[in-house]
Amino acid sequence: MGLLSSIYDSCKEKRTYFGTKMKGSAIDEAGEISKGPAPRKGLKRGLSIMDFILRIFAAICTLGSALGMVTTRETLPFATQFVKFRAVFDDLPTFVFFVTSNSIVCGYLVLSLVPSFFHIVRSTSVKSRVFLLSLDTVMYGLLTTGAAAATAIVYVAHYGNPNANWFPFCRQYNNFCERISGSLVGSFIAVVLFIIIILMSAIIISKR
Amino acid sequence: MSTTIDMPESNVGKAKAVVVGPQRPGGWKKGVAIMDFILRLGAIAAALGAAATMGMSDQTLPFFTQFFQFEASYDSFTAFQFFVITMAIVAGYLVLSLPFSIVAIIRPHAAGPRLFLIILDTVFLTLATASGASAAAIVYLAHNGNQDSNWLAICNQFGDFCAQTSGAVVSAFVAVVVLVLLIIISALALGKR
Repeated sequence: MGLLSSIYDSCKEKRTYFGTKMKGSAIDEAGEISKGPAPRKGLKRGLSIMDFILRIFAAICTLGSALGMVTTRETLPFATQFVKFRAVFDDLPTFVFFVTSNSIVCGYLVLSLVPSFFHIVRSTSVKSRVFLLSLDTVMYGLLTTGAAAATAIVYVAHYGNPNANWFPFCRQYNNFCERISGSLVGSFIAVVLFIIIILMSAIIISKR
Repeated sequence: MSTTIDMPESNVGKAKAVVVGPQRPGGWKKGVAIMDFILRLGAIAAALGAAATMGMSDQTLPFFTQFFQFEASYDSFTAFQFFVITMAIVAGYLVLSLPFSIVAIIRPHAAGPRLFLIILDTVFLTLATASGASAAAIVYLAHNGNQDSNWLAICNQFGDFCAQTSGAVVSAFVAVVVLVLLIIISALALGKR
């Protein structure tokens, strides 16, 4: 532990040297204290605006994914009396979960636009930012879970599994397969946007 | 604003003083950092347990015919291979992040290590959640099958294999929950100055 603390302190000392130099000159000039509140506030405001815009994009992406999955229905042109040849997303519970989680996250993102706008206007609200980040992390877990589970099922649908004797039904239900594969894309774009939103929130919180 | 002056001054003279007598009371933040460290240890155990359990899951049924194999191992499923590799990576990251957590205990008012940890925690939360969820989807299929696509529930025959893989998935989700808690704790500590 002594080694770690001495390493960390030597890193801090370099920054301290520059800090004191700047402090001396800045106090001479304008009586202002450290880095200057204006550039920091500008950075926070810029990040908050980008956070708002990314939330809108992520809401559109998750909505697109949910709608793309819900409107799947393919009926093969031949049918017998006993066997149905129709594929709907309902048939696989994992896809139902995917639609549910995307809808919940989309609703959450739309509702969270209000606190996000409030954070643009008021840059010094830390508690609500921390709360929003916590909610963001939980919703992000939900979204990633739905997307990953649906991806596993789509993979089996494309390639099958000879060891478990699971037949890849994509060979017969082409349209259905294309639609479910495509709706995964929107969900994963929303996952990446969520990561950026969470990281930006963490950076804004740490800047005081 | 005055705190940004205090920070450089206090650490220069106190390179040797590690724990006792800081300029400002860091009790709350130090407690949070200790909880962070302990949670990290728990997450390491969960992630390692998940990877090991899944990696050692292998079951051969005592009968066989000329054409079919009656062996199930994690190798047969791509999702499970992805699961083992990813949980091992997450466990490795958690072990490597322990020094940063210790630095956050020693220096409770430093924002650098905490910010670094929160960024990396988010990235590895993604990995852990994705691998756990995809393995969970396959385990659900193995338990229940799917009538419409004619996928049989293999758990009826391979009981042990099924139990081990299900346990591994549960352990992975424990690691996911702990990672979410770690992120929230780091954000709380970052926000309080």
